[in-house]
This record gives sequence, structure tokens and C-alpha cells, in this order.
Amino acid sequence: MVDSRLDRIARLDGRLHSFIRVLADAARHEARASEAEIAAGTYRGPLHGIPIGLKDIYETAGVVTTGHSKVMQDHVPQKDAFSVQRLRDAGAIVLGKLATHEFAFGGPSFDLPWPPARNPWDLSRFTGGSSSGTGAAVAAGLVLGGTGSDTGGSIRGPAAFCGLAGIKPTYGLISRMGILPLAFSLDHAGPLAWTAEDCAIMLQAMAGHDAADPASANRPVRDYRAALQRDVNGLRLGLVRHFYERDNEANAATCDAIAAAARTLEGLGCSVREVTLSPLADWVACGVVIMLCEAYAIHEANLRRRFTDYGEMFRDRMALAGLITGADYVQALRRRRELIDELDRAMEGLDLLLTAAAPTEAPPIDAVGKFSTFERPLLTMPFNVTGSPAMSVRCGYTDSGLPLSFQIVGKRFDDATVLRLAHAYEQATPWRDRRPALQ
Amino acid sequence: MTRAELDAALARLGLAVPEGERDQIVAAAHLIENMVARLRPVSGRNVAAEPAHVVYFPEE
Repeated sequence: MVDSRLDRIARLDGRLHSFIRVLADAARHEARASEAEIAAGTYRGPLHGIPIGLKDIYETAGVVTTGHSKVMQDHVPQKDAFSVQRLRDAGAIVLGKLATHEFAFGGPSFDLPWPPARNPWDLSRFTGGSSSGTGAAVAAGLVLGGTGSDTGGSIRGPAAFCGLAGIKPTYGLISRMGILPLAFSLDHAGPLAWTAEDCAIMLQAMAGHDAADPASANRPVRDYRAALQRDVNGLRLGLVRHFYERDNEANAATCDAIAAAARTLEGLGCSVREVTLSPLADWVACGVVIMLCEAYAIHEANLRRRFTDYGEMFRDRMALAGLITGADYVQALRRRRELIDELDRAMEGLDLLLTAAAPTEAPPIDAVGKFSTFERPLLTMPFNVTGSPAMSVRCGYTDSGLPLSFQIVGKRFDDATVLRLAHAYEQATPWRDRRPALQ
Repeated sequence: MTRAELDAALARLGLAVPEGERDQIVAAAHLIENMVARLRPVSGRNVAAEPAHVVYFPEE
């Protein structure tokens, strides 16, 4: 398994640029150890011997962890991130470190020590970010799953554009310790994989209380994979149509695909009704101001000392961040509390929400401007503001063969129901059968 | 925001932003200003909407 993935990486990644660093020798060593363990009767579970990739913000013991930045190109952590250790404990084999936007925010950038990752469905297209390398590597079959992070959409965006399943779990479900931070109160760790079931398997391994993370949830980890088998008949779904039909207008292909997905879910016995929330721009204003302020605080010293060692996209976004005042940040926190209460009230009598994950299919990579992330409100950001579990799921293709997606959102700590609906939808549709046609 | 205001702000922040990038930042500043403005409702905000929830004192 590992050799076949390494061979595929050697053949394809020269064009995809999904890996910053391939750990071939270590992976083969781990694979041999896994084989011996399994042969001796010690089977750790469904991740045992499975090759995965780690977004290069996940600290990996003895392995350079760069944040895809010159600023940290020599950073070698002493220990694994908490969630990385949990993946290793589950038997996963780390094939390497995956490309990301600089510090999970500045990308796609062409002025960094490593090039940006490319979309396997069309190499001229954007992968989405910031878990760009993870999206590319999983979609191309270079790894069977990968880790991402999501502060405003950085798991769900690449999942949408690369045709994958990607879940941003409830805030606090997966420890943030050992993951280079972007914004403390918005950062979520999570998996990207080909299917919801694979996401459930990875989430099962990654989740768990970590006393070193002050935001870590201290509650038992549910069996997410077992929960997939429950019927979805009777689930009550709220469709937030205005987010993508008015607030950030999606194209016709996306709207049609989401409407078809809703009909499929109704066919599975779910009920769907429309839900109205505050305008998307309100949620995004709150989230972006918080994100920029917290990110600026994290990078403040290095930005002063070595501003031009950062890539232009990240550093100029941080220059804007520096202009936001303390009072602005507090107003964002106050608004955040209002919005959290609003979502909780809106979901009374519902089990899940549906909306778009992205307004279009993947755009050309050279059409993503320096400040484009601020120009149209992100469809994913509301659920970072509220800490709710949210997942991007493939729901079709454009006429030119690019993936389309929709988003499923759950109540906090009900990640299992999000995964259950995604799994049921995948089982009822043919979208997973198509792979990028890489030569 | 004017270019002069940006230059003054960057000087206070101690950020050595290259000359060629400053006009782009000025041009984009309104995107953030618009977001900041949305956080202050014209009708005011209930004083109970306050962020104490972000402060957590461990019980033991």
C-alpha cells in the first residue's frame, strides 16, 4: 500500500505540488512494522497501515514543519502534535507533509519556498485553501486521507473544489496543540478523505480530550463510524438558501446541484424547510475581524522583525489586520455571542442545516487575488463563528467535469449526525465513482 | 483610508511594507472597514451582548 502511494507520488506530484516533504524511508519502516504487528494479531483498527498526509502546520517530531513559509523553514519540532500522535496510535502511516497556504492563510502564493498545490481535476484550477495540499493529495489518490485545519473554511473549501468529503468538527473536539495557529478561537483541526466514512474513521482517531489545549472538550468520543449505519429517515433539515442565492450568489450549476441534493435527501425520508438567518456578511464580518486580530497577534513580532520574509499575500493581509482596533475586536466578540444564540434558536426543531460550501466550482488558480478572501463573504465562516460541526460533501459535477458541493451543518457535539447524513447521501448518489483523470 | 494615513499607521505598527504594496493595501482597506462598520449596529446593541463567555476560569 505504501509503496503504491509512493510510486504514485513520484509519478504525479511533480505536477500537483501537493507534498512539501515526502517521508519515504520512514513510511516504509512504519509499514513494515505495521505488517509485523498485524501478522502477529495486533490490529489497531481501520487506520492500521493506512497512508495519510499531514498539512504542514501539524508539528511532526523530528520533521521540519514549515507552515509553508520561509519564516519557519528550519523549524523542527521535538514532538508530534496531539492529534498526530493519536493518528499514529491508531496505526496510520505518515507519508509526508502537505502543502498549505502560508500559515493557513496566505495563498495561493507563488513567492514562497514551495509552489502552491494544483487541483487534480484540472491543473490550472485552484485547490481551495488553506488545506490545499491535503485536498490535492487525497483527490489524486496519493494518500487515503489527510489532515487539514479550518479557521474560516480551510477544510471545506479544498474539499469542495477537490471533490472530497471534509469535516470541520465541533470546536474543541480535536486538540489544537502542536498545530501552528492562525486564530485561537476559530481554528479547528479535521480530516479530508474520499468519503464521509473515511472522515469518520479519521475523526474517531483524532478526537479526544487534551489537557494541554484549554479549549479541548472533555467528553467521551463517540463511535462516529458506527453512527453512520443509523437511518436518516425523519431527520429535519433547514436550508439556508439566501446565503448562496442572495448573499454570495452561487452560479446556476451550484444552485441546481444543491437543489437536487435536497431532493435526494427528501427521498431518503428527510424533511427540508427554509431557514432565514442574519445576512452572510454579518457572520463573515464577525469572523474575519476576529481571525485577523488573533492572527496578527500571533505573528506580530515576526511581522515587525522580518516582514518581507513572509509571502506577499500573507503579509499584506496582516498589514490590513494591524489596522483593526481593540474596540473593533471586542465588538466582534459581542456580535459573536449574538450570532451563536441566533443559530442555536434557528436550529430548534431541526437536526441539521444545509447550504452551499462554495459559490462555484474551482476557479482558475491565477484568478485568486491577494484580497479575494475579503471580497465575497465566505459561505463557510458562519460555522467557525459558532463552533458548529460543518462538512462539505460532493453533489455533482459541472459540464466540464469539475466537482460541485454542498455543506451540512450540525449542532455542536452532534458531529455524528452530520457524518450520518453525508454518508447516506453518498450511498444514494454516484458522485464518488468518478476520479480525476490524471495521466 | 488615504495613503498618508496608511503610512502613518504602518509606521506606528513597525511594519516595513514595501512601497509597491502600499497602494494595493490602501485600495483594499475599505473591505475591512466595511466589515468593521457592520459590527456596530446603528440602533445600538443590547449591553447584555457581551463577551464574558470567552473568559473561562477553571473550577479547580
